[in-house]
Amino acid sequence: MSWSRDEFEARLRGVLDERYHDRHPFNRRMHEGALSREELQTWIRNRYYYQTRIPLKDSVILTKSGDPAFRREWVQRIHDHDGTAEREGGLELWLRLAEAVGLERTEVEDLSGVLPGVREACDDYVRLVEERDLVEAVASSLTELGAGKIMHVRIEAFERHYPWVGEEGLRYFRSRTTQAPKDADWGLPWVLDHATRADVQGRCVAALEAKCDILWRLLDAVAAAHRVPRLTAAARRRDDPQDGRPTVVLPERAVRLNDSGREILDLCDGKRSADAIARTLRLRHPDVEAIEPDVHGFLAEMERLGVLESAA
Amino acid sequence: MSAPRPYNLIAELTYRCPLRCAYCSNPLDWQRVRDGLDAPAWSRVFREAAELGVLHAGLTGGEPGVRSDLREIVAGAAAAGLYVHLVTAGVPLDRAALATLRDAGLCSVQLSLQDVRAGDGDAVAGAEVHERKLAFAAWVRELELPLTLNVVLHRHNLERVGAVVALARDLDAHRLELANVQLHGWALANRAALLPTRSQLDAAAAAVRTARAEAPRPEIVFVLPDYHADRPKACMGGWGRKNLVVAPDGTVLPCHGAAALPLEFWSAAERPLADCWTRAPGMNAYRGEAWMREPCRDCPERERDFGGCRCQAFALAGDAAEADPACALAPAHAAVVTAREAAERGESAQWVLRGRHG
Repeated sequence: MSWSRDEFEARLRGVLDERYHDRHPFNRRMHEGALSREELQTWIRNRYYYQTRIPLKDSVILTKSGDPAFRREWVQRIHDHDGTAEREGGLELWLRLAEAVGLERTEVEDLSGVLPGVREACDDYVRLVEERDLVEAVASSLTELGAGKIMHVRIEAFERHYPWVGEEGLRYFRSRTTQAPKDADWGLPWVLDHATRADVQGRCVAALEAKCDILWRLLDAVAAAHRVPRLTAAARRRDDPQDGRPTVVLPERAVRLNDSGREILDLCDGKRSADAIARTLRLRHPDVEAIEPDVHGFLAEMERLGVLESAA
Repeated sequence: MSAPRPYNLIAELTYRCPLRCAYCSNPLDWQRVRDGLDAPAWSRVFREAAELGVLHAGLTGGEPGVRSDLREIVAGAAAAGLYVHLVTAGVPLDRAALATLRDAGLCSVQLSLQDVRAGDGDAVAGAEVHERKLAFAAWVRELELPLTLNVVLHRHNLERVGAVVALARDLDAHRLELANVQLHGWALANRAALLPTRSQLDAAAAAVRTARAEAPRPEIVFVLPDYHADRPKACMGGWGRKNLVVAPDGTVLPCHGAAALPLEFWSAAERPLADCWTRAPGMNAYRGEAWMREPCRDCPERERDFGGCRCQAFALAGDAAEADPACALAPAHAAVVTAREAAERGESAQWVLRGRHG
């Protein structure tokens, strides 16, 4: 049996209460003023990839609707991000934020420093919108219900804890304090009107859950870049006596590496963060393209195999 | 025939053990296999193994702790440059002995645990050891050695998998092996008592999924047993391919159970290890794929499962060159299905503990 309109709305809001990324430890630390400059930079560099996917997913949503009124409304979101002749869009304002925290505009724009986990999460968002029905795709955008509030918290936190960022850097956040509630005010009733069958309502809730998980994973990957990896107690490094290959021996397996792996592990000293390791290697190998994502991918894989753990 | 490079040496130091587990993996005639290698001989085996390419030595048994020269053996493996891993029941080693082993070069410890409940664990082990094992686990961590817990799962403890994970976390284990009972040796004799039902396994798998989602550590290993999977396991990673077993008397084997097969293996007590690994007729009997019959010969899975377990084929089909009866395509698969159906009907039996050391 389907939910009443009120009950359905409560279910959707309940998803945000439980899973919206304002509860993620990284966001909490951001809002408490606990992030380092480097951590803020990593977040901003990576979150830009998310920003670039938003107009793409909104374009996909447009293709799913045969209703001109819907498209007239929805296309505004693309203008909000891409900008118009009269005003800068969200993408441009995000680049201003990047510059305000000391990043090179071009380095952010070319997406070369995007972490593998972030890329995966954001690509999953576009895929989700491609694969599901229009009403589910719109429901997945209802994280906007939480966006107005988080932007206010964020502006206050930046003004208090990160005053060095400056006013120009906060323009994206300010623009979203009005855009996101306006979008949600339109999107929520539209979903409530168009999902009246029980199965469709259930799928809308699931789509919103999936979207929350995507935002959460994005922050997981950003946070991982600032963990401090070190060899686990069980792991012993040695060069293979037969072929010289760098090898890590564990109680249950031997992990054979190449010279790049050796160079990365050499930097895992329990003092450097994953991000610092990646930047060190970029400076050492300026000719290698997109080295940082590879380093983060390698560190994540070594953690999974029990070779590395995060220092407390 | 050229032999592949072995990476792992499984050193069975003795078949003696204070426990009498109903699912013991030692050969049925273990009492006839004497401890044929002294510590200097083991040191030579370790050096020769390292020359062959071995990186890792698992010291096991029986119970390695009953050897009075264990410290010397550990030191010999470490001197050969091997990663030294001790597989123990936690008795009779005490904390001081363990500290001595660590100082001699021991890298990590795997402790067997039979159950979370002392009474049930001690019943299947045939000895009062549960409390002692918990103390031993604490010593391992106090001495800052990494701890793997190995819990053999069977019909009478599968339902407590969630509690096993909680205990592993309490004991600060790095890794938890939830080892579904392998039905060889003593365990095959006790099959009716040990074989679980499919619903027991599914519930345990669900409990493992929940536990993995709760926290990344310990790493939990749980594999559906071959009796219920209808697929053979890649036994030992392939016959004579990556793992080299040296039995207490020095016999070089491809796995723990191969001595029961009618094959000629050679002893490292009498010949260089490289000869035993590379040239012994038994080692070459099932290397590669030339020995395979239908349905393995043309099966695309053969590159993954290497034809499954030769010992199981011998025990259940009467011929070690037959397809592993665990496989649904094997001519002798009915032997597995019959046992499984009996388990599903609830036909169980009382297990018989392994015999005492004579």
